[in-house]
Amino acid sequence: MSVMQWWTTDGLPGLHGALRAVLPFQWAQYGFMLNALIECLLLAPLCAAMGVQLVNFRLAFFSDAVSHSAFTGVAVGFLLQEWASGWGGSFDPQVTLIGFGLLVAFGVAMVRRRTNLATDTIVGVFFSAVVALGLAIVTASGARTSAFQKYLYGDILTLDAADLVWSAVLTLVVGVAMTWCFTPMTLIGLNPELAHSRGLRVRFHDYLFSLLLALVVTVTIRTAGILLVTGMLLVPAATARNIARTAGGMFRWTILIAWVCSVGGTMVSFSTWLENVSTGAVIVLLATLCFAISLFFRRSA
Amino acid sequence: MTQGVPNSTTGFALRLRDVTVRFGSVEVLSNVSFEPAVGKLNALVGPNGAGKTTLLRAILGTVPYTGTIERGTTKTSRPSRIGYVPQKLSFDRGMPLTVLDFICCGLQRRPLWLGYRRKAKQLAADALRRIGGDGWESRSMGTLSGGELQRVLLAMALSSDPEILLLDEPVSGVDIAGEGLFCDLLGSLQTTGHYTMILVSHDLSIVTRHADYVVCLNRTVHCQGNTVETLTAENLRRLYHQDVGLFAHDGLHEGHSHTHGHTHGNSADAHLCRDHDDKRGPQCP
Repeated sequence: MSVMQWWTTDGLPGLHGALRAVLPFQWAQYGFMLNALIECLLLAPLCAAMGVQLVNFRLAFFSDAVSHSAFTGVAVGFLLQEWASGWGGSFDPQVTLIGFGLLVAFGVAMVRRRTNLATDTIVGVFFSAVVALGLAIVTASGARTSAFQKYLYGDILTLDAADLVWSAVLTLVVGVAMTWCFTPMTLIGLNPELAHSRGLRVRFHDYLFSLLLALVVTVTIRTAGILLVTGMLLVPAATARNIARTAGGMFRWTILIAWVCSVGGTMVSFSTWLENVSTGAVIVLLATLCFAISLFFRRSA
Repeated sequence: MTQGVPNSTTGFALRLRDVTVRFGSVEVLSNVSFEPAVGKLNALVGPNGAGKTTLLRAILGTVPYTGTIERGTTKTSRPSRIGYVPQKLSFDRGMPLTVLDFICCGLQRRPLWLGYRRKAKQLAADALRRIGGDGWESRSMGTLSGGELQRVLLAMALSSDPEILLLDEPVSGVDIAGEGLFCDLLGSLQTTGHYTMILVSHDLSIVTRHADYVVCLNRTVHCQGNTVETLTAENLRRLYHQDVGLFAHDGLHEGHSHTHGHTHGNSADAHLCRDHDDKRGPQCP
């Protein structure tokens, strides 16, 4: 509580002041733009850490399923919100959003470990199930679709101080986890049995990856929206894959590209002629441009 | 990497007693008991679906089993370490991953994006030298040929300085030249007497030429013993439920593969070949 108070009254304005001092741009006068900038700087390494694994081990569809589970999470959240307000209480749909993300991520990981079905089949089943459930709830409750817009398209320009604290905490957690687990996860992705023979705990790392993916996806939704989360995670890593020669190099390139595209995209979307364009869309389009360019610089095999 | 003192013949590297593996209601392995010869090349032969790979997995500890699998303490006070060479590594060949990246994955906890530990780099270089891959560190894993990839997998296993080597059909996807090179490597590892090797193979010509000890497996152990005494036409017929022809088998009968060290320059003298190859069951891959 006191940290939050300090952050909103002193910390955040202080940070804004410092940023304005070093950024002589017109947009830096706006607090929401500075918040968006901070969010980009925090988010890029998270997307990079997940994206590298998704690209190398063909799990793109997995992140799609987790992000679409957010749709169901929000639908359930709205129901609970309505119900709570009937009692004079309140409910934040963000809670069910994260809850459903975790549910799907762990569900996929568990079924994948216990059956010999192909991963994309399992993910497909979960994916359809959550979207169907979400649609069923939305149509039954007659919720206004406009309420979903924020979650479908994302809105990086409306972040408040609490959102940034969330991102900072998550960046710290994922950063520590990926420093500790990047190398083992790479070996597990290549051959779980080989990893096991080297004393790595395969199951622990599988579930840890699911947990981190669910957290990163649900936070990235605020920026890119349900529709584009996978793009945020995937495209920078796919671009880096074209350029890099080593596993470490790919990770470093992914962070750099994610930073450039998210900060650049946010700035570009502020310009007057893109005023009404979704920021998440601009970021992903910029990343796609980088990807297209990287195709010409592909390392020779 | 220190070579260590060659294993004494006392003690054991690995001991399996009544190992039984069930998948659902199907008993894939029942009451398998054996003790591989310490410091020797032990071959595990049997038809497809005999449970050879499952047995390796039980030894690795990735499938649940009943019975006991004990690792001995032949070299140090700690239980024997296992080096595992999988049948193949299926991965995205366009993935940015060098040979050094791959081997270091098993040698360091430090994230690869913060660089390699000096010790890990040294161990990787030593292991690569032993498989004839000097200076392969910066090569991309995706550009290796099938034979080179198997040798890198062997280097990966050797880099952890194991006492036990588990090799699952290591040359099944490799061309003849690559197979020869890989077998030469196995031979040179064998002469050190440092590794207790368990080789799964259904290539009987490789087994007769290289193995010291053979375990015939089909759901359970049919027979085991030293290669010459065990790989008889009678035993093979019982194992494969069909005639297995022996061509130009003088080398086999002279006990060549067992007593004369393990040169394999004259590879044609012990060649086994199965008749009715087309009759193999539907479980063939």
